[in-house]
Amino acid sequence: MKKIIISVLLLGLIGGASAYYYAFVYMKNRKFDMVNAEAASVDASVLVKAYQENETSANASYLDKVLLISGTVSATDQTQMGERTLTLSSEDPFSGVMVTLDSAEAAAVNVNDQVKVKGFCKGYLSDVVVTNAIIVK
Amino acid sequence: MKQQMTKIAAVVILLVCAQYSQAQKVYATKTGQIAFNASSPIEKIAAINNQTDSKFVGENGQVIFAVLIKGFKFENQLMEDHFNENYMESTKFPKADFKGYITNIKDVNFSKDGSYPVTLDGNLTLHGVTNKVTATGTMKVAGGAPEMEGTFKIKLKDYKVEGLYIGEKIAPEVAITVKCKYQ
Repeated sequence: MKKIIISVLLLGLIGGASAYYYAFVYMKNRKFDMVNAEAASVDASVLVKAYQENETSANASYLDKVLLISGTVSATDQTQMGERTLTLSSEDPFSGVMVTLDSAEAAAVNVNDQVKVKGFCKGYLSDVVVTNAIIVK
Repeated sequence: MKQQMTKIAAVVILLVCAQYSQAQKVYATKTGQIAFNASSPIEKIAAINNQTDSKFVGENGQVIFAVLIKGFKFENQLMEDHFNENYMESTKFPKADFKGYITNIKDVNFSKDGSYPVTLDGNLTLHGVTNKVTATGTMKVAGGAPEMEGTFKIKLKDYKVEGLYIGEKIAPEVAITVKCKYQ
C-alpha cells in the first residue's frame, strides 16, 4: 500500500513538473521554425483583393496561416520597437501588405525590389498585416 | 509703400494658409503600439501589438485606433494561444477599434514643440461589444511630428470576455497603454 501511495505521489510530482516545464519554460523559449514551415503561396495583389472583396471569407482562408507572399516593395520602415517593415504593393494604391520582419531577419531589402516573404497573416486593417516574416530567396 | 503693404499682406496670407493646412492635416501611423497588462500577483500576463493602425485629424481631433487581436505578442506562446482561443475568440472577433475625438485638440499647437495633455472620448469595440470610453494622455510635438501616449483601464466583464482564470491568474481589470508616433 505504501509503495502505491509513493508511486502515485511520484507520478503526480513528475506530471506537475512536466506540465510546468512545458507551459512556462518550453513554450516561453520555443521559437517557431518559419524557415521550414509549410506555407500557402499567394501574390500580394491577390491577397489584398481577397480581403477587400470579402474579409470573412479571406480570414477563413488566410488568418493566422503561414503564407509565402510575392510582391513588389513599395515602402520600408520600422515599428516603434525597431523591427523592420516592408509594404508590398497591390493594384489598390491605398492598400497593400504590411510585413513586419522577424528581428533576426538581416537580408537587405529596398523599395522596388521583387521579394518573397514568409510570415503569419494576422488579418486586415488598411493593409493586410503579416508578422514574424522572413525573406525567402 | 503700397508695394511693401502688398508684400506684408502676401506673407500674412501665406502664414495663415500654412497654419490652416497644418490643422487640416491627417496624421497617421500603421506601426503604432498598443500594450495591455492583465497581470495578477500570481502571474505576469502582458502583450504588445506593434502594428496598430491609427489616424487623427489635426483640425477637429477625430481619431481612430484599430488593432488585430492576433497581432498581440506574448512572451509565452501558450499564453498567446489561450488568449486568442479561450478568451478573445479572435477568429470570431479579429479586430478591436476605438473611434472618437480628442476633445481638446484646440489646445495642441502642432507648430510648437511641447507636451500637451489630451482627453479622448469615444467608443471602444472589443470582443464584439462596444462601450463608451474616456481616456487621458499626452500629445508630444517635436518638429511638427506628434506622438500620442496614454493609459486607460477596462473591465473584461464589460466586453463579455469570460474565462476560467479571470479574477485569479488574470486581473479582471486590464490596463491598456497606447503609444503612437504619427507622420
